[in-house]
Amino acid sequence: MENLNQEIEKKEEELRKIRLAFLNILEDTQDAKNWAIEEKNKTMAVINNFTDGLLVIDHENKIELVSPAIEKIFKQKKETILGKNIFKIKLKEISLKPLTEALKKKKEVYRQEIDLGKNVLLEMTTSYFDFGKRTGILVVLHDVSKDKLVERMKTEFVSIAAHQLRTPLSAIKWSLRMILDGDVGKISEDQRDLLEKTYASNERMIGLINDLLNVTRIEEGRFLYKPEKMQIEGIVVNVIQDDEEIIKMKDINVSFKKSKKLLPLVVIDQEKMSLAIHNLLDNALKYTPEKGKIEISLEEKDSNIIFKIKDTGVGIPEDQKERIFTKFFRGSNVIKLETEGSGLGLYTTKNIIESHKGKIWFESEEDKGTTFYFSISV
Amino acid sequence: MSKKVLIIEDDKFLRELLGKKLSSLGFDAVLAVDGEEGLEKIKTEKPDIVLLDLILPGINGFEVLEQAKKDPSVNEIPIIILSNLGQSEDIEKGLRLGAKDFLVKAHFTPQEIVNKLQIVLS
Repeated sequence: MENLNQEIEKKEEELRKIRLAFLNILEDTQDAKNWAIEEKNKTMAVINNFTDGLLVIDHENKIELVSPAIEKIFKQKKETILGKNIFKIKLKEISLKPLTEALKKKKEVYRQEIDLGKNVLLEMTTSYFDFGKRTGILVVLHDVSKDKLVERMKTEFVSIAAHQLRTPLSAIKWSLRMILDGDVGKISEDQRDLLEKTYASNERMIGLINDLLNVTRIEEGRFLYKPEKMQIEGIVVNVIQDDEEIIKMKDINVSFKKSKKLLPLVVIDQEKMSLAIHNLLDNALKYTPEKGKIEISLEEKDSNIIFKIKDTGVGIPEDQKERIFTKFFRGSNVIKLETEGSGLGLYTTKNIIESHKGKIWFESEEDKGTTFYFSISV
Repeated sequence: MSKKVLIIEDDKFLRELLGKKLSSLGFDAVLAVDGEEGLEKIKTEKPDIVLLDLILPGINGFEVLEQAKKDPSVNEIPIIILSNLGQSEDIEKGLRLGAKDFLVKAHFTPQEIVNKLQIVLS
């Protein structure tokens, strides 16, 4: 009997210990559960308040998660698409085809523009990730419809401004030119001198308006109007040809060293790239004294195409190098030279190069010369 | 025989300047002040070449171009756009609709415009 009691007490003691252990485990589990809930809430809070639309698609192409922003973009309640196969969904107002087409390629994309119709324009970014042994896709949709609308309004504004501002300037240009060409009778040398100067001022005004219009168009910069795969070399040749007259007039030796081997094609917007190169050449020509030298070259290096333009011009003062690419900036030494300029050329050029995902930089020494470089990846 | 040039331009001063320049060089300059008159004169005057502005009262230059190119009796007549628009969208649209060239007014002198005309005419 004594033995039995002892035995029971021992068991009781064991049971107490087991109970305690269980309680501990339970507590740990509760903690883990709370932590998991907390994490989930955090994640959901991020997802729910994210301004971009988020979709998670599982390995069977089913939509596993829909963020509230998606409802606005798709103009549809999320319950109607949750759990459905992304390739089989039909929306009432917009077409998901551009999105599914992009998904079919099974490649990660970054800010790819897709047009879902009805003025819904998105930038899509996808990334693949593993959850458990399966692969899922996270789709981030950034709504750029409003940006595009602003861009369109801007384009319209530029059209109107161009027309309204250029028309009277054309009239001045044409009549002055006709008087100067003797179309309406002879003029004296003094009259010619004065009218030539007026004509030059008017030309400057036309140039300024062009610069302003270019800035208005390019400031947003993110949208290349017409990106195409092409050789950059032809653009450089054309730009040099365009400036032939000034080159001759200033008697500057301009050389273009082409790459020895054929350069690979790069995706560029021809009009904008021409403008960027044009601005660089124009600057070199403007700020290089007569009989100076300008060397232009193109080469491929580490899957980048590098454009280089080196002049023997007045250079950029050391203390102003940081501001060279800002809007309306002009170097103190070049303002003294009295050359015309709006301070918009390099600003525009930088925007253009960056919208091509390229880089622009320079080296310069005052009174020795400046070298500008830009690189575009192949 | 002198070549007949139709100028479709709503700005009176520009129209007359260009008319004067062309006449002085021996061209037969015919003037139209808006799209309707321009289209009409393309058909009745059968010019050798047309200088066409884009922003016009009534039907605009793009429409004039489009309609002229659709009409088999006049679609061979070369049309040069002479406008102060000049964004790539406009240029591309003009050339796609069949214009021979696209000149921005403020970038060309009357003589340079005539030179361009002569290139197309020869």
